[in-house]
Amino acid sequence: MARYLRKRVLTGILVILVSLIINFSLIHLAPGNPINLLAGKDNPSQEMIDTLTKKYGLDKPIYVQFIHYIKTLLKGDLGYSIMSNEPVGKLILEKVGPTLLLALTSIILALVIGTALGILAARKRGSKFDIVMNGLSYLFDSTPNFWLGLMLILIFASKLKVFPTAGMVDLRTQSEGIAKVIDILWHLVLPLTTVTLIQIPYYFRIARSSVIQTMSEDFITTFRAAGMKENRIFNKYVFKNAILPTVTVFGINLAYVISGVAIIEIVFAWPGMGRLMMTAISKRDYPLLMGIYLLLSVSIAVCMIVVDVVYAIIDPRIRYD
Amino acid sequence: MKLLSIKNESVVYRSKTKNVLAVNNVSFDIDKQDSVGIVGESGSGKSTLALALLKLLPKNADVTGEVLFEDKDLLKLSTDEFNDLRWKEISIVFQKSMNSLSPIHRIGSQMADIYTIHDGSADSDEVKGKIINLLEMVNLPTRVYTMYPHELSGGMMQRVSIALSLMHNPKLIIMDEATTALDVITQGQILNEIAELEKKLKIARIMISHDMSVVANTCRKIAVMYAGYLVEFGLVEDVILNPKHPYTKGLLKSFPPLKGEKGELRSIPGYLPDLSIPHEGCIFKDRCPQKENICLYTAPKTHIVENGRKVMCNFAGGDC
Amino acid sequence: MNKSGNFKMKIKKIISSINNVKQLKAGIILLALIILLAIFAPLIATHDPFELNDDMVSPPSNNYILGTDGLGRDIFSGILYGARTSILIGVVAASISGIMGTLIGGISGFYGGKIDAVLSEVINVFLMMPTFFLILIIVALFGSSMFNVMVVIGITTWTGNARLMRAEALSLKQRTFVKSLETIGESKFKILLKHIIPNGIFPIIANTTMNVSDAILTESALSFLGLGDPNVMSWGQIVYNGKSYLTNGWWISTFSGIAIVLTVLAFYLIGDGMNNILSPKLNSNN
Repeated sequence: MARYLRKRVLTGILVILVSLIINFSLIHLAPGNPINLLAGKDNPSQEMIDTLTKKYGLDKPIYVQFIHYIKTLLKGDLGYSIMSNEPVGKLILEKVGPTLLLALTSIILALVIGTALGILAARKRGSKFDIVMNGLSYLFDSTPNFWLGLMLILIFASKLKVFPTAGMVDLRTQSEGIAKVIDILWHLVLPLTTVTLIQIPYYFRIARSSVIQTMSEDFITTFRAAGMKENRIFNKYVFKNAILPTVTVFGINLAYVISGVAIIEIVFAWPGMGRLMMTAISKRDYPLLMGIYLLLSVSIAVCMIVVDVVYAIIDPRIRYD
Repeated sequence: MKLLSIKNESVVYRSKTKNVLAVNNVSFDIDKQDSVGIVGESGSGKSTLALALLKLLPKNADVTGEVLFEDKDLLKLSTDEFNDLRWKEISIVFQKSMNSLSPIHRIGSQMADIYTIHDGSADSDEVKGKIINLLEMVNLPTRVYTMYPHELSGGMMQRVSIALSLMHNPKLIIMDEATTALDVITQGQILNEIAELEKKLKIARIMISHDMSVVANTCRKIAVMYAGYLVEFGLVEDVILNPKHPYTKGLLKSFPPLKGEKGELRSIPGYLPDLSIPHEGCIFKDRCPQKENICLYTAPKTHIVENGRKVMCNFAGGDC
Repeated sequence: MNKSGNFKMKIKKIISSINNVKQLKAGIILLALIILLAIFAPLIATHDPFELNDDMVSPPSNNYILGTDGLGRDIFSGILYGARTSILIGVVAASISGIMGTLIGGISGFYGGKIDAVLSEVINVFLMMPTFFLILIIVALFGSSMFNVMVVIGITTWTGNARLMRAEALSLKQRTFVKSLETIGESKFKILLKHIIPNGIFPIIANTTMNVSDAILTESALSFLGLGDPNVMSWGQIVYNGKSYLTNGWWISTFSGIAIVLTVLAFYLIGDGMNNILSPKLNSNN
């Protein structure tokens, strides 16, 4: 297992390094002068040019600039936002909470619902339930997440008026305590439903196909031949074997979920990192944009390594490698 | 004493587009402590026949006929009644022993789990002791108990499968190509051990193999199958020394002789017929070197010759 | 048998397998319909999709089959022309990713050794990157022309194909015909191009078809975020334009979104159907 983990951690470090290089080179490769990009306007004042040149070492050779860039990052300095002149790190940290709330809850819900439906479909393979669920999984897989969000707003907020259209809290009531929690949950329903619905097909399909695959393994025949009851075979042996692929997909799925969450935040004006990123794009706030991208890449890489570690712990075939 | 008696058993695999007649009207008996080897090329129906005995065929397979095990018709038992009989009376060892247990559960715990199906009252220490005894019986170290299948070699896993099948002292073991995947030396060792255990535990055995020499060395009787038919059945020495069916003769020519001078090795030209199409005459007619006009239109009857020997050939009654 | 007879047999075989796999059949019919609409857009369209007029946010009617948007542009005509953009971007982006993946994966699997170690690591690294954000940033920085969008989607999504091709190359490498070609001294690169890739291409084609779907979705998301090419009509942009009129002009976003769903669905069905032919045991419903 040590070898496997060392390899995965190495890949993770490489991912972070490559993200840094991409981040760094994008600023230098993008059309126009990096100073203009970093200043956020086309004709920055001489004073500004001087500060930026000094700060990013823009007059030095490119590799020195890169080392300089890494050094500042290691100090925890992600630069300053052009819009608000505040540290990028601080701006991002303020928005992490709402994004995590949306992302984590939806992942857990989709994992549980999708896997349960997939197992049911696999056990009733070829039944009406299986066919309908398969059809729905195709349909939701083909649905753009932002459009699904809009349609939910159209039906449940605009026409039926059951849920609020946007935001995380009702700004008019300024509620506190429990009332505030309920208010947030109320606002959470539609965005959460959207992000969950787009993830369910993923887990559904993996669970369905891996249950079917496991059921056709030779060891199932051994247990049957020995007279073990179908339910026991399923609960004890099929389930654990079939759930393993879900763990790996969970890791791969993460980047996809985060990008989905980012778009849904924009649709529902949810005050998280996705919305912050969009503002950064529209205001051409490059230090902020780069900061967000870097943070996302690093955290996704870290999460995927954690998932790999978990997988290695569950699967003895890797544990003893 | 008869232990198992198969009477007119047929198996049809049904699908939307065609029905494949995989086993056709097969009958033979197995005595207590007997050993019968079923040989034939792949697709001859030998594995289907064995899996049908344990009701392990997929749902689209229709089994007809009678399978009398100690005078109970296995085909008429309910699922629960049949589950009680599985492993306690009849157990099986599969070919792909590497995949015969779940890869992510420990071998000992799976064996214990299988043990408790038919002996729920035993406490866990008792079960563990019993499993460890079984492992020792098949010459495996006791640490196998806490190991996972992928940590064992093919030969060791095959021993685990054999230990598993002997767990409840069954009266009959089916070995479905159980040693085919092993190297020659391990195969020889395991076959010898099986022979000893059988004597000790008084077990009857059905051995399915495409390898005539394995069957000749380890079984008392031999059943030759071709395209779903039992074409020849009898004592090993009778069949090997004096094969009566042209297919058996061909099969024997394709293996090096066990003793005596080496003759020419020859394979049987042609292929198995398509079993989803009804045929006329003898099933072996396309490949038979001795066929005559009668074989094209008249399906051969099964002739019973000396020593309970059966031959399904138009010329078996007379001289051939 | 002569060559044309052989060819006819092959066509017959292809048609029968299309008929046997339901998804594939449904997908092909759906896609054919969409492509026809896209080709004949100028003939079918009732209005110029860019033409502004005074009937702003008017609901579906005889004149405007699917209504008009906030600037009075006809939605139906917009969707017809948008089909061209979506399919073009999807197909070109997926092809770029298919070609890159095939070459990188093929070289990695077939050459093996150090080359494989390095390329596999590159593939692993790319698999762990949040591709959508990368696309977003590149398009934001380098401009959102259709060309940029296609190329950026293409060069960031090739990893899946590379992994498939690598696996194919690894197994094909062991086959006797490849080994004998190596023995008679055929150059490695030639074997890769003439034998490994053609023999292992089918899973890539199936995957690339699915990638067309993903590319269409990515493009529509970019357009929805305001990063679409302003010079072409695209479905994502119509949805984006309709966002502000959700309450009083539901038809704007709704119909354009349905167009995306149907097109993406068509490519998914085809890709999945092809995978089904490749490994019938796992996917069939019986």
